Amino acid sequence: MLEKQFADHIIKNKERYYRLAYSYVKNVDDALDIVQESIYKAMSSLDSLRNPAYFRTWFYRIVVHTALDFLRQRNKTVLVEEEVLINSNSGTCDTYQDIDLKRALDSLPAKYRTIIILRYFEDLKIDDVAEILDENVNTIKTRLYTALRKLRIEMVDNNEIGRICHE
Amino acid sequence: MNNNRLDQLKQDYMNTPIPRELDFVVRKALQQNRKKDYFKKARVAAASVAAALALVTVGVNSSPVFAQALAEVPVVGSMVKVLTFRQFTVNEDNFEADIKVPEIQGLENKDLEGSLNKKYLAENKKLYEEFMADMEDLKEKGGGHLGVSSGYEVVTDNDTIFAVERYEFTVAGSSDTKIKYDTIDKKRQVLITLPSLFKDESYVEVISDNIISQMKEQIKSDESKVYWLEGYVEEFEQPFERISKDQSFYINADGKLVISFDKYEVGPGCMGVVEFVIPTEAIADILVSNEYIK
Repeated sequence: MLEKQFADHIIKNKERYYRLAYSYVKNVDDALDIVQESIYKAMSSLDSLRNPAYFRTWFYRIVVHTALDFLRQRNKTVLVEEEVLINSNSGTCDTYQDIDLKRALDSLPAKYRTIIILRYFEDLKIDDVAEILDENVNTIKTRLYTALRKLRIEMVDNNEIGRICHE
Repeated sequence: MNNNRLDQLKQDYMNTPIPRELDFVVRKALQQNRKKDYFKKARVAAASVAAALALVTVGVNSSPVFAQALAEVPVVGSMVKVLTFRQFTVNEDNFEADIKVPEIQGLENKDLEGSLNKKYLAENKKLYEEFMADMEDLKEKGGGHLGVSSGYEVVTDNDTIFAVERYEFTVAGSSDTKIKYDTIDKKRQVLITLPSLFKDESYVEVISDNIISQMKEQIKSDESKVYWLEGYVEEFEQPFERISKDQSFYINADGKLVISFDKYEVGPGCMGVVEFVIPTEAIADILVSNEYIK
């Protein structure tokens, strides 16, 4: 019964989980692998979860851990590449503000970015975010403010860079 | 914080392209895990064929066919019913198993219900384990064909009697069929055994004689019928002489005693599983009562 409910939940919310996985690895194949692996992990420990109401936070947590494991194994090449891209692109004077903004988010370390994603994009409560990331609520709050500040700073920086057409 | 920017970021995030394969990957992962999950729950020893296994616990609601079959059984009195508790399936090239474990529900006598269900599970587990062992054996020897299927059927369900048939059908070159029955007294909530129906052990003789005469009649009237009877079998073969004390039996809806033999038990394979309805007159004198058998 729980298994069926879980399967239904996953099928219904698969896109959410995929997006989160993608936010870590930035490519389709790896994101799909993470989703798949997360389902395996979840199913094998489904017994430990009594209440379907916790599916969401519980599975987000599994996705996050699976993604982090994946990145550790991959030696964080993807993140480095992202940073290189940002640096090499930030100088062009154009109107791609959205993209710069997105890169600002992408260039945040995963522990900050995930908080932004879960809190603002997936509309989870701070408590749930803390649960998912295995941190206490205060740590999450602090990181959230740091993340927001970093984003704003970066945005401001980019805008300034944009305005002066910095090469 | 500029909410506009955050909205923009959210928009971007939500616009992450979703690959078409996602649905497939998700469904496949969920399915494969059902197979893995099976091991965790059933704890069946043969771990080497993980890939080929699936466990399905089927309830009445989830199987329209079965629910319909149930609906067709005239249920009077207590709601005793039998459901598929577990299903073990193996589906490889030349190896197929479809083992359904029945579960009786609705008996007030929970001890009886529990012991029957335990027996059903044990029988099917054994069948499954034997199948797996044979399969491994055959594979080591370079292959072969093997099939097994088991299941059940409610043969009688009226005011007094609830009788469940369980069959085991195995194919390995030739095929074999075994059938067993449990006949339950719904009013008293007890399992009816063959000896319990009779005053003494003379029933073995009486029923056997009746069956032998039925066999002879059948052979006379129908050339295709063959039974292993004295005078009809080769010298080295053991003719059928008498039933065992706990011969397979059930009581049918007409209140008649039905004696059943597995394939090969009293005749060649072409005869398959055979049943003999024992006329009540033949056993009337030795019956304890006419409560079950009329």
